[in-house]
Amino acid sequence: MYRYDEFDTQFVKSRTAQFREQVVRRLDGRLTEDQFRPLRLMNGLYLQLHAYMLRVAVPYGTLSSDQLRQLAHIGEKYDRGYGHVTTRQNIQFNWPELVDVPNILDDLAAVEMHAIQTSGNCIRNVTSDPWAGAAKDEVEDPRPTCELLRQWSSLHPEFTFLPRKFKIAVTASENDRAAIRAHDIGIKIVRNEAGEVGYHIYVGGGLGRTPIIAESLNEFVSREDLLPYLEAIMRVYNRYGRRDNKYKARIKILVQETGIKQFTQDVDAEYAAMTPADVAVGPEELKRIAAYFAAPKFETLSDKDEAFDKAVILDPALSRWTQNNLGQHRKAGYTIVNISLKPTDGAPGDITSEQMRAVADLADKYSFSELRFTHEQNVVLPHVKRADALAIYKALQDAGLADANIGKVTDIICCPGMDYCALATARSIPISQAIAQRFADPERQHIIGEMKIKISGCINACGHHHVGHIGILGLEKAGVEFYQLTLGGDATETAVVGDRTGKGLSQTELIDGIERIVEFYIETREGQERFLDTYRRVGIAPFKEVLYADH
Amino acid sequence: MSSLKHKGKGPQVMTANGLRQGPVVYMRKDYSWSTVFAEALQTEDEAIIAAMGEAAQSASEANLIVGAYFIDIDPATSEPARYRERFRMNGPSFDPGRPTHIEHAEKTGPIHLSET
Repeated sequence: MYRYDEFDTQFVKSRTAQFREQVVRRLDGRLTEDQFRPLRLMNGLYLQLHAYMLRVAVPYGTLSSDQLRQLAHIGEKYDRGYGHVTTRQNIQFNWPELVDVPNILDDLAAVEMHAIQTSGNCIRNVTSDPWAGAAKDEVEDPRPTCELLRQWSSLHPEFTFLPRKFKIAVTASENDRAAIRAHDIGIKIVRNEAGEVGYHIYVGGGLGRTPIIAESLNEFVSREDLLPYLEAIMRVYNRYGRRDNKYKARIKILVQETGIKQFTQDVDAEYAAMTPADVAVGPEELKRIAAYFAAPKFETLSDKDEAFDKAVILDPALSRWTQNNLGQHRKAGYTIVNISLKPTDGAPGDITSEQMRAVADLADKYSFSELRFTHEQNVVLPHVKRADALAIYKALQDAGLADANIGKVTDIICCPGMDYCALATARSIPISQAIAQRFADPERQHIIGEMKIKISGCINACGHHHVGHIGILGLEKAGVEFYQLTLGGDATETAVVGDRTGKGLSQTELIDGIERIVEFYIETREGQERFLDTYRRVGIAPFKEVLYADH
Repeated sequence: MSSLKHKGKGPQVMTANGLRQGPVVYMRKDYSWSTVFAEALQTEDEAIIAAMGEAAQSASEANLIVGAYFIDIDPATSEPARYRERFRMNGPSFDPGRPTHIEHAEKTGPIHLSET
């Protein structure tokens, strides 16, 4: 993985020292809150509903075991013993004290981490496929591209005060595990007919109060043209993006108002007026970055492992875990272990310091000390020998992390909602818990099959509800929470915004209604149809009918 | 700070977050601040409300608290009328497997802030 060079180290250290001084000046009154707020936000520090919240950047979700141990230490020393994995593959601490934050930033800097650009109208943490470098279906490891973008976008003087925040995701697979078309810019690494690797660029996606799926902007941008081309897009956005209305300031609105055809011409014109060589990075530098992501020293192994196969047959729980939580690795004899942070009795994405240490130990022992956070709020051990999967499973059971529900009805993306967030209109964690408990039976989850439920506690849609197979939006009227449903959303390569069912529901009506929707799907599905396939075949009408059956 | 004039109705309480540590705090009778809602000064007296606004302004300028504003109190329950404020008072409704917000507060004890 990427290691800081001298410049990075010096920069992060000096930034931390600056923030320490800023906190001193805030506490003694030389800085007012109005002056201090933008400074703390530039370092990922929010003031939330109950307390400060610090959002720590995890570039493209990749981190080392030592970094995770440091996060465990921070959680224990400065917070309440846990952290929360976010949909930008970052981690948040919910209870830090302002006076401790400079020390936290020092601790982060000691393991090459920081909280810069996790807030504000800048280019946020670039996200990617959590299986990067391990997936069987990828054209190449997308992380060197992500790292290039991280370096380019970190404190880019031109893009530090954009009209609004800006999110980029990169995938290198046909199977999109990074929700690229829900991003301001989505990048898909592709190979053209000549066998060259380049970039298919999508633009203008985003969720929030105006959900839009990104449109294709350019089907093939060459490697050397990537940064100049992205710079051209950013310049067009920076120039024409609306600054008069916060809710119309994202690039998706500009693309919609301009039209993709005109927008493409604007980008092309901007590109033509640039000197690409000023921005482009040469092959030497790309090679230097790529070297940080060289594949670990895999052994030559066979995919056959009789002892493991036998254990799987004897233990139904292990069998389910194997089926749901292991991903296909590109090397024979290896597997990708997906660790669920979605227990039936916990908040989605929360991980305790103790659990962080347990997972870090597993990464050291079995996965070349490497880990990933996923945008679906889980953890990945990317390079595990299949022969070690059983030992990992047992260790995860001891750590309370062996839930075998990846991709299932209880593997819910959920924002913090009214329990933590200053912007929320309703709670989301208790809804996810009620669903997880209703569908707790693992056999039932297996029968239901792939199901993506996503919950947001307000229209800002941090819980990605628009692209959930079942999406839930929490609202409030006169002190009473209610929930609106969308059906048929999809965040993958076949991305689409879900359809609103209609009238909002109380929590009880909602959970019963979802159960009826699920039951109806099971009765109606043909062959191997997933929920999404059945929904696409029969449409919203019959689902609406069962949802509102008790009205 | 225009938010220091109340626009609500019925009894009022002044709330904010502590600057150094960040917790939700409420103004007490002596215009100091506490994390315990039960200690909050509740009043409908416009003269006292005006004095609370001034005291909050002063506490902001003294770098004691941040983001002060008045909240409406439901006279029937003597608790915050608005749903959001009830969450600020009670903490997260969901702390699975961890000490609840209230247990945590009991363990750490109340925080009191004052300018003197």
